[in-house]
Amino acid sequence: MTDILQKIASYEPGETQFLVLATVIFCIGMSGLLTRRNAVGILMSAELMLNSAALMFVVFNRFAAPSVDGHIMAIFIIAVAAAEAVVGMAIFVALFRYRQTIDVTQITLLRD
Amino acid sequence: MIASALTTVMFYTIAVGMTVLALTVIFTRKLLRAAVALMAVLMLTAGLYILLNAEFLAGVQVLVYIGGIVVLIVFAIMLTRSADLLEDHPTTKRMLLGSVVGLAMLFASCCAIFSPRPANTQVLEPVKDDVHAIGMKLLDYGPEGFVLPFELISLLLLAAAIGGIVIARKIPAPEQPFTSGGDLPGEVHFTQPRLQREEETK
Repeated sequence: MTDILQKIASYEPGETQFLVLATVIFCIGMSGLLTRRNAVGILMSAELMLNSAALMFVVFNRFAAPSVDGHIMAIFIIAVAAAEAVVGMAIFVALFRYRQTIDVTQITLLRD
Repeated sequence: MIASALTTVMFYTIAVGMTVLALTVIFTRKLLRAAVALMAVLMLTAGLYILLNAEFLAGVQVLVYIGGIVVLIVFAIMLTRSADLLEDHPTTKRMLLGSVVGLAMLFASCCAIFSPRPANTQVLEPVKDDVHAIGMKLLDYGPEGFVLPFELISLLLLAAAIGGIVIARKIPAPEQPFTSGGDLPGEVHFTQPRLQREEETK
């Protein structure tokens, strides 16, 4: 039993593991940003990316600097994400009222 | 030793769950399902914050992200009737572009992460009493403090709230751009569509 515990404990995640996880989430969000057609879906992908950026700040704070600066940056990121979600929702609602769709491939007002 | 074994197991469980749920967010055709998956991803991130000894941040994450932003997104889905319609599958070109860019970014970032860097010689102890430390930092006037960004972020939130109301407003404000008189009965005649209104005034 102790052997198994020791074996598991030897794989304790360090900064690399946390950073790779945050990177994976960021890249998933980025490809979602490019493939989604619905504007709300795009907003959700952007939230994923912002979330993983905040996670990276906390990881660096934990493993590289003995302070709380990373926590404060993460709080700022969360506040900016909230502001972005508010404005995004307002724009989508206004757009839907005029065009009856929020499919970004249909919205070509500025094209020609 | 039991603590670190537990941390390891929890980290890898959360990592697998987060990746699967994030993929659900971007690939599912039902947007409401994507919103629920996004909520789960944010919840698991709060779990990671606890593993990283950032308990206050985990609380903020749950309160603001899950309680605020996800609810806003669900409102946006409901108000634009996106939940009724299944989203079309992206075209092959788009899909290819998205995955290639995502994988390229992953490759570049992983190169940066795994490149040699100065090793951490000492194991850092997490800051004790982080709520107190965060509060002191946020209101500190000195060169290490964050009082100006803290005040600016409150301005940003105020501007976003007012901007959201102005943009999503059903009744266009009469004359003045920002003061509308609220719900006064005088605004009732503004509920007509704008074109009709302009014709009447001509």
